[in-house]
Amino acid sequence: MSLLELTDVNGYYGNSHVLFDLDLAVDRNEVIALLGRNGAGKTTTLRTVTGTIPRRQGGLTFDGTDISHDSVDEISNRGIKLVPEERRVFPTLTVHENMQVARDMTSGTEPRPVEEMYEIFPVLDELRENRGRNLSGGEQQMLSVARALIQSPDLLLLDEPTEGLAPVIVDDLYDVLSEVVEQDVTVLITEQNVDFALDLAERAYIIDKGSNAWDGTVAELEQRADLLDEYLSVGAVE
Amino acid sequence: MVSQGLIVDQIITGLSIGGRLFLIAVGLSLIFGVLDVLNFAHGALFMIGAYVGVVAVQSLPGGFWIGLVAAAVGAGLVGVLIEIGAIRRVYDREELDQLLVTFAFVLILTDVVRFVFGTGQKTIEAPAVFRGSIQLTSSLTISTYRAFVIVVSVLTLAAIFLVLRTTNIGRLVRATSSDRDMAALMGVNVPRLYTLVFFVGAALAGLGGALAAPTLSITSSLGDQVIIRAFVIAVIGGLGSFGGAFVGAYLVGLTIAVGSLVVPGAGELIPFVAMIAVLLVKPEGLFGGVEA
Ligand SMILES: Nc1ncnc2c1ncn2[C@@H]1O[C@H](COP(=O)(O)OP(=O)(O)OP(=O)(O)O)[C@@H](O)[C@H]1O
Ligand SMILES: [Mg+2]
Repeated sequence: MSLLELTDVNGYYGNSHVLFDLDLAVDRNEVIALLGRNGAGKTTTLRTVTGTIPRRQGGLTFDGTDISHDSVDEISNRGIKLVPEERRVFPTLTVHENMQVARDMTSGTEPRPVEEMYEIFPVLDELRENRGRNLSGGEQQMLSVARALIQSPDLLLLDEPTEGLAPVIVDDLYDVLSEVVEQDVTVLITEQNVDFALDLAERAYIIDKGSNAWDGTVAELEQRADLLDEYLSVGAVE
Repeated sequence: MVSQGLIVDQIITGLSIGGRLFLIAVGLSLIFGVLDVLNFAHGALFMIGAYVGVVAVQSLPGGFWIGLVAAAVGAGLVGVLIEIGAIRRVYDREELDQLLVTFAFVLILTDVVRFVFGTGQKTIEAPAVFRGSIQLTSSLTISTYRAFVIVVSVLTLAAIFLVLRTTNIGRLVRATSSDRDMAALMGVNVPRLYTLVFFVGAALAGLGGALAAPTLSITSSLGDQVIIRAFVIAVIGGLGSFGGAFVGAYLVGLTIAVGSLVVPGAGELIPFVAMIAVLLVKPEGLFGGVEA
């Protein structure tokens, strides 16, 4: 049984229908890359899981339980944590307070100590008392990831974590995430930076215009320059 | 020529009006700051608090103190009913819809109170300990009750700041107020938190009403006058800012009291002029943009 399973999912924003009969299955402790062009529906797929999409239909189970009628906070409290595309650090709270809120709101499992995050992200240690809104994009991304990790998720959803980051920061983030995926956590990651995602992931799904286009192992995908050309409009992966 | 003594007297009066106004403005600000809803029914909650105070004083020995608690809890619970029953359903609607829903409760609550208590005015006296006055200097006294109201308003401000700044729940409220969708994604039950905040805001209005009861003549339309002033304060101080509500309340109290010396009969007008000036010059309010 998969940890997360989407079957025949349709997603809507008002009258516009953006996900079409989508299927996706993530096994426990797997790392899955969710790839596709801009506007393909990657973020919307994650929103389907977190319950923040305005309307969805179809099957959605987590750990064998139907979660399609759960509220956003109920889904979160089952251990599904999102690092959103826009980072969404609390702008008026300090770095430290952002982490404390994450710690305080962890339920059903032990939160990881805030101090541990400062070891993983030394840059945040120096910014403890800075407000979220005064952080650079990279710092906000670190904080957003740290906040999710504090809550010891069973399923971590990462929405384009490298978007807009300088290459050195991307390398730092890669180091952190490659340690995260070694642990007892399942990860679903979307990326435009295909190399980044494929280096972390074991399997991949490609979606196009809101529908499944392909899925398989990363090893297979790396042999398929045609797929990358067709669906991701980037060069081959080396 | 106005004598110095009279001016000082009016300043003290202004401060006590300010203390009373603060208690209502701060709840309005709290609810707006967190829920993003302008609660027009806030004046009606103040009025309910005043009636609870009246009933307590008239029916129980030591009723004043019980009345303060009962007014806060009673108005808070009415607030919870309003929030769960109606306002919760319009969070995602336009501001006008929200305002109309809360306005409906002004009419409902006013009518219910009129039905129960009639149209006559009610007055009560402050408890005996507060009947005297305090000699500040050889020529200056302040009524003990007024001093008490000022102290309560300062303590309330301090308590709100402390809770928001230093407690886990306060931090959670600030986080949710800055991004409720992200808070929900982190596991916060936002509707429940909103209900709690609405309870606290409404309870502050009820407390303000019961505290003001000995200094006012109470009718079912008491809330109308109070809500207008609370809005003026909120606009001057900056909606959602507690420091702003505090300064705004005392500014309005002082201008009403002192202004009536300068322009007899027009003291009530001056805060409105000030509000228009603030809206033109600094539309976000004196303290707008600075969060608690
Ligand atoms: N809030 C919204 N309201 C209406 N339509 C939306 C909304 N968000 C996304 N869409 C539409 O849904 C489709 C899928 O968007 P989505 O954000 O899921 O794509 P994506 O794959 O995450 O793209 P990107 O790589 O740019 O982040 C797009 O056509 C987009 O225009
Ligand atoms: Mg996206």
